[in-house]
Amino acid sequence: MQLQQLLQQGLVWQGQQQQRHDQQQFVDSGWVELNQNLGGGWLRGSVNELQVAQPFSGELALLVPLLRQLQRPILWINPPAQPYLPGLLHQQIEHSPLLVRTHSQQHALWALEQAIQSRQFGVLLAWLPELSAAWVRRLQQAAEQHQQLVFIITAWQHTDEARAYVTRLQLQRGADSFQVGIKKRRFGWPLAPFVCPIDQLLPTRRRLVS
Amino acid sequence: MNTWLYLHAPQLLLDTQLALQTPAQQQQPQVLLAGSRVGARQVVQYNQAAAAAGIALHMAEVTATTLVAELQLRPYQVAHEQSILEQLAQLWYQDIAHIALYPPQGLLFEVASVLRLYGGFQGLLQQLQQRLQEWPIRYVVASGDTPLRARLLAQAGQSLLSNDADSVQQAVAQLPISASGLEPVHITRLQQVGITTIGALQQRHRSALGKRFGRTMTEYLARLNGELPMPQQYYQPPAQFSQQLDLLAEVASWQQLLFPLRRLLQQLEAFLQVRQLSVRALLLQVKHRDGQHTEQVIRFAHPVWQLKDMLGLTQLQLERQQLDQPALELALQAQRLEPRQPHHGDLVQASSELAAPTQSLGELVSRLQARLGEQAVQIAQPQRDWRPQQVQQWQLWQAATATAMAMPQLPRPLWLLTTEQAIELQQWQLQWGPERLASGWWDDTPCQRDYYIAVDQQQRQGWIFHSEQGWFVHGWFT
Repeated sequence: MQLQQLLQQGLVWQGQQQQRHDQQQFVDSGWVELNQNLGGGWLRGSVNELQVAQPFSGELALLVPLLRQLQRPILWINPPAQPYLPGLLHQQIEHSPLLVRTHSQQHALWALEQAIQSRQFGVLLAWLPELSAAWVRRLQQAAEQHQQLVFIITAWQHTDEARAYVTRLQLQRGADSFQVGIKKRRFGWPLAPFVCPIDQLLPTRRRLVS
Repeated sequence: MNTWLYLHAPQLLLDTQLALQTPAQQQQPQVLLAGSRVGARQVVQYNQAAAAAGIALHMAEVTATTLVAELQLRPYQVAHEQSILEQLAQLWYQDIAHIALYPPQGLLFEVASVLRLYGGFQGLLQQLQQRLQEWPIRYVVASGDTPLRARLLAQAGQSLLSNDADSVQQAVAQLPISASGLEPVHITRLQQVGITTIGALQQRHRSALGKRFGRTMTEYLARLNGELPMPQQYYQPPAQFSQQLDLLAEVASWQQLLFPLRRLLQQLEAFLQVRQLSVRALLLQVKHRDGQHTEQVIRFAHPVWQLKDMLGLTQLQLERQQLDQPALELALQAQRLEPRQPHHGDLVQASSELAAPTQSLGELVSRLQARLGEQAVQIAQPQRDWRPQQVQQWQLWQAATATAMAMPQLPRPLWLLTTEQAIELQQWQLQWGPERLASGWWDDTPCQRDYYIAVDQQQRQGWIFHSEQGWFVHGWFT
């Protein structure tokens, strides 16, 4: 009887309850399958990790649909090359990139945190080596508090140590397709790599007839 | 009705120096000495520790040093004291518009219009005192129905604040003739004839006094009664801000300079507030023992005027700096003053689902640049050029202007490598091309290249070109 009362008052959380998530929380990623697998898209107020084997493997093309819909500038912290205006314009990304370069990772993290707190950006992109659990938690808290969408682009991580990222994706360029593996997501289990058709945004690929 | 207020700060220079010292240093007996010849100098200002040890005004240097062995001696510099007086006037100019300087230690305020605003003398004094929170100087304030009466009372140390003109006149009449401010010769002669107070002087016939002591005496009496308008040159704040501070002891790092800098920035804040200006750059100048100086420019990406903003950003910027030699003097100059822009809140953005910004982009960039260096924050700026590496230029955030770029007709990569990298063509599959880009023949970096889109062994789509030097990768599409 007492348990019933507690349940009615909403003081007991039941595991089998369906997580209802509001579509307002999500930003369309532009990819149907990715949206489905992430529960609706990129979560507003989240830090996401994109693991790439090599730079330029498709991580930026994956984000192109997101970057197109932004009303605010994009911050680039320590990218591996210059973001190129004509290419961004060609993909209908209109905000001029704001670039921050630092000599140390500590400064990069500080700059990222400051930028999150300013709430000035549509998306914050940072290229960083593996981050400590404490820093990820700190950034995630800031991103959630200020409702900012942050991507950390980093190398493939082989350990499975837990981090407070909302999503962790492993990106892979295969011979025929670009594949996204989900190592962590908010509304489900990890997922094996699936194809994400980023090639449709890029110059046509010709198969060489050998 | 007493409409004049006179402030007399007899220890102005020493008090200002003490304010920059640590409490332990302030406990040391210290005096300022005036006089041309070493050995024949006299004590003109002394702190409380010196007074407790028996030092008195006008004591000879020899007597003072014999009395207190560990006494700190410094020369009295009238020019310095005068510049401090101007700083005080500037500080209070925020509250009172009519201030006349009586160098080196006095300020005269015309308070008829502000007395009602501050609710009488007490309210006015509180307001004046509030500005001095971090600048503890000792002073005497007296009111008067004429400027000269107020001044004589303050200089005699009588802090009489009253709306009643009669009580002021009585108090002045009782002052000894030695406090009259007349020339010493006149004072001696007056004392010889038995006139020992100002009141006694006023009872004499003016024409008789005039015959004996000349015109200065009649003028003096007329000014005392306010019959002659005092030639008042009211203080006009300078159009530029440039101030300096003596540090007294050598300071070895920028960190330690922050405390005196705070004082200067506080004055700057007052300066900017009066004029409704903001500042975009500061010049810090540190003078060293050998007469050399070090300069440090602090730039702000957005206009600032509040003490906390200026201090915070300066602190971030100075954290990265080293001071090569110890500093003796600190000077601050405001550069790039500009009128304040009204701040517009963006109603449209606030109502959408986006979280409203907590600070402007300029404020953020200022913070980032302060800690990371100015070059660390850049923005891409389109250029009218055909050469791929010249189409955009990275500029300091503050230098950027809104320029639109023509939409490229042909595919362009998302990434551009700062320097192109040589490649082995065998490892690439050509997919599209060539696009010939030949340009720049008019300057010293001509460019003639055939660009292709190609895929490397890891299946990454790149932008590669062929020129006389061979094959290179220049950008990436992914």
